[in-house]
Amino acid sequence: MPTALLPWSLLIAAFFVTAAQAAPGPAASMVRISTTAQQPDYSVPWNPGNVGSGVGAGFVIEGKRIMTNAHVVSNATFITVVKEGDPTPWEARVLHVAHDCDLAILGVYDERFFEGTKPLQFGGIPALESTVSAYGYPIGGNRLSVTTGVVSRIDFQPYSHSEVDSHLAIQIDAAINPGNSGGPVMQDGKVVGVAFQGFSGAVAQNVGYMIPTPVVRRFLKDVEDGTYDRYMDLAATYFPMLNPAQRAALGVEEPDTGVLIGSVFDSGSSAGKLQSGDVILSVDGLKVYSDGKIDLDGERTEMAEVFERKFKGDQVKLEVMRDGSKQDIALELDRPWPFEMQARSYDKRPRFVLVGGLLFQPLSRDFLDSQKDVDTRLRYFFDYYVTDHLYREYPEVVVLSEILKDPVNTYVAPFKGGIVDKINGQRIRSLQDVAAAFEQPGEFHVIELLGEGRPIVLERSALAEASERIRQRYGVTTEQNL
Amino acid sequence: MHSSSPSFFPGRACWPRRTAAIFAALLVSASFSQGMETLKPYLPNAEATAAPTDQTAPATEASPAMAPETETRPLPPVVRVNVASQSYNFSQPWRKNPPVLRQGLGVVLTDGRILVTAELVNNHTYVELEKPETALKAAAQVEVVDYDANLALLAAPAAEFLQSINGARLDETAAVGDRVEILQLESNGTPVRTPATITTIEVGAYPVDENAFLLFKLSAPLQSRENSFTVPVFKDDRLVGLVMRYDPRSQTADVVPSPVIQHFLDAAGREPYAGFPRAGLTFSDTRDPQLRQYAKLPNGTGGAYITKVLPGSPAAAAGLKLGDVLLRVDGKAIDQDGNYEDSRFGKISLAHYVSTVMQAGQKLPVVVWREGAEVQLEGALAPRDRSSMISQPYIFDAPPKFVIVGGLVFSELSRQYLREWGPDWPREAPLHLVYLDRYQSELPGDRGKIVYVSSVLPGPNTVGYENLSHEVVEQVNGRPIKSLADLAAAVDSPTGQFHRIKLAEDPGLVVLDVEGSKAEEERIKRDYRLPSLRQLDGAE
Repeated sequence: MPTALLPWSLLIAAFFVTAAQAAPGPAASMVRISTTAQQPDYSVPWNPGNVGSGVGAGFVIEGKRIMTNAHVVSNATFITVVKEGDPTPWEARVLHVAHDCDLAILGVYDERFFEGTKPLQFGGIPALESTVSAYGYPIGGNRLSVTTGVVSRIDFQPYSHSEVDSHLAIQIDAAINPGNSGGPVMQDGKVVGVAFQGFSGAVAQNVGYMIPTPVVRRFLKDVEDGTYDRYMDLAATYFPMLNPAQRAALGVEEPDTGVLIGSVFDSGSSAGKLQSGDVILSVDGLKVYSDGKIDLDGERTEMAEVFERKFKGDQVKLEVMRDGSKQDIALELDRPWPFEMQARSYDKRPRFVLVGGLLFQPLSRDFLDSQKDVDTRLRYFFDYYVTDHLYREYPEVVVLSEILKDPVNTYVAPFKGGIVDKINGQRIRSLQDVAAAFEQPGEFHVIELLGEGRPIVLERSALAEASERIRQRYGVTTEQNL
Repeated sequence: MHSSSPSFFPGRACWPRRTAAIFAALLVSASFSQGMETLKPYLPNAEATAAPTDQTAPATEASPAMAPETETRPLPPVVRVNVASQSYNFSQPWRKNPPVLRQGLGVVLTDGRILVTAELVNNHTYVELEKPETALKAAAQVEVVDYDANLALLAAPAAEFLQSINGARLDETAAVGDRVEILQLESNGTPVRTPATITTIEVGAYPVDENAFLLFKLSAPLQSRENSFTVPVFKDDRLVGLVMRYDPRSQTADVVPSPVIQHFLDAAGREPYAGFPRAGLTFSDTRDPQLRQYAKLPNGTGGAYITKVLPGSPAAAAGLKLGDVLLRVDGKAIDQDGNYEDSRFGKISLAHYVSTVMQAGQKLPVVVWREGAEVQLEGALAPRDRSSMISQPYIFDAPPKFVIVGGLVFSELSRQYLREWGPDWPREAPLHLVYLDRYQSELPGDRGKIVYVSSVLPGPNTVGYENLSHEVVEQVNGRPIKSLADLAAAVDSPTGQFHRIKLAEDPGLVVLDVEGSKAEEERIKRDYRLPSLRQLDGAE
């Protein structure tokens, strides 16, 4: 599977910028985006992090705005934009960013930038086999590049920027390379997609993906009220119902209809409304086929597309078979929080608490990627956090992630990597709990890890001195970020 | 979208891949291929790890003093032991894997029985003795086998077979620094004695389970030869132990030493075989002064901090609790690392005393430090009740259990099943099963066995279920499932037209038609060539 699916951000330094005349067509709307980004350091969370630079593409849209990919501007500390035919780099800022669908909207501090540019308009979903052109600043030169190809496939795809989201995406065979990211893919003078990811040449050739306009339009509509509420989710798993006995036992008589609800996650849209064993027969009046598909706008597509197009607070009407009788159930859509733990995060500083050289960090994808040896328990807690409902007991899984060796903690080294269960008798359900528990009075701090019978004991009176020593020796700039 | 993403059943492979290399007769023991740093408690079994490339240990540039000598001393009391063995395939539990041949050197004891490592004889189908000098052969029976201690006893064949051999006695004096000899045979039967030095005596991990027993570590330039599966070590014609693994890089051999062998022989002399007792607890050191202060332990004393007491164990029966600090066991003081002063070996882990010095059934008085005062307790030692374990650490000599219903294959979790994923099974096998196996002592006491869908034999009943893979079964026809026998019983008494199989994981519910499943039985047997759709009297 697509382990090599990479967002095409990129690193070519501009040697010079050619002063060209304002080009006709899409060239008048093209923007070359240069970013300086600082990646947070989850293994040493108080570190500022590495600074790197990248180049991506963008294009002008209505309202003096620039559209690009979220991954082009993630963790950015400084962004400049250059338009075709203008040598000046203009400083830009992120107005809205949607990491779950890899889109971002930029503004430029000085709006004179937009003089002479032409906002592009959006089209629909291009037909299979129809020709499209991708614009951007990919590897191979500095000026605008255009490549042409056909629409190869229209399907749900994982969006690799967050690593947990899947949406509609369109595969094209026009060459899309690092630096195409955020650039428009055009057909008949309209934008039909935003180039965003592809396979490395080692895996597959001529497989590039663009974000189609339903996803782009949804993003634009979501931010109309000034904030981005993200994609909505049913927060329940569902499965095809192709087995005749399973269908009969659950009382589903109409042929080819219905999907089975597997798990329902707390605090999500379906919590308290749906239950395991329910069969969804229709969504907003659309028949749900037994393979999980629906007919929408003349296309056979995933049932999820119905939820994909909705916004926070919108209703969805389900017809459900439960215990042999049909029921109508209305859900109000929301975004469940437990999933965030498994998503890659951006534009956030790592959260941590450091006490006596013991570093406590909440489990997350970014954290896990920074760790060298991850034991079975921690891998299980990450992978099964949602499916085994571990979030109920552990809204945050706090890990004793590092021990900065010091006389005060020199016997504690073997406990690195453990999951914190209790501190000073208090159950730890979040990083805030850790900070609060250490405020408890007492002669000792007693830290209990999951599955460890022997507590970690820190003598409180020794801590103050140790903390100062540890700060100085290890270059710790701050002892917590909650 | 997450949960409602279009990947329905998680797409995992149906059957774990087999990485086992076929085992050739000349191969060195499993452990010869293992670097010492990989010697984990769950050392994979022999066939799974011995790769053909390990056939030759690196040639050694031994100094003249260390060179193996071939000379004419009285023939040592050894016989070749040739074992044909056939392991069960736990991912396709109705079949056995291709047979493999192993050869070792058995040590003839004074009573005429033959001592070998348990690894040599696991899953044996035929055991044969061969006299080194004459190649005379005779069939032998495995009389007692203890996989925990990695030892087995073979019954003596007809008396005349071993007539000319004087049985070996066990060494009782070997100590660190002593020179010993590792005995191998050349193909013509000539003994090859490799000098070795005992470098360490400690309690360490044995190949299966989390067992720790006394180990001798030897430094020796050992070559791969025939009969490498059991390689005896002698000192002055007395048996020091049996090599159970060898790391060619560090030239270190781990040896099952004579005290463990002596305990095994003592236990084998009693019916029924009780094996090695276990207290059923784990402990940690108390070197940390902050922990000592917290536990109010006086300075200058020892003590081992009890970190786990297994339910139902002798330790639990004696009243030991988490957080108690062991001060004395059978009158012997326990130091900060959990060692006692052994009359022969000096400071050595308490685990040796409990498991090997003591015998099952013996009473063991202990003194613990609890809430600032000494408390005296006493318990009777017992071997571990393996059948009560949720997931067995190993299963040899018995077929895996399974039940097939309508094409769905159900299995019961054991570490032997997880080992089907090869040497790196803790990372490769299904994570939730690895987790349940590894942390089984944390599961509720009444959890019972873990039953899951191990694979699917596709047919009309399994349409839509093809991708089921390792979902744990909670209920069948309304009955809780705590063993495969429970599942078989629930399937045998359906409550209506359908078998309703409730899974702990997605998709949550699988339904089979009762009549349809029955009607399929013969076809499944025929098409998939299965001798039976059930195997319930497997290992306990």
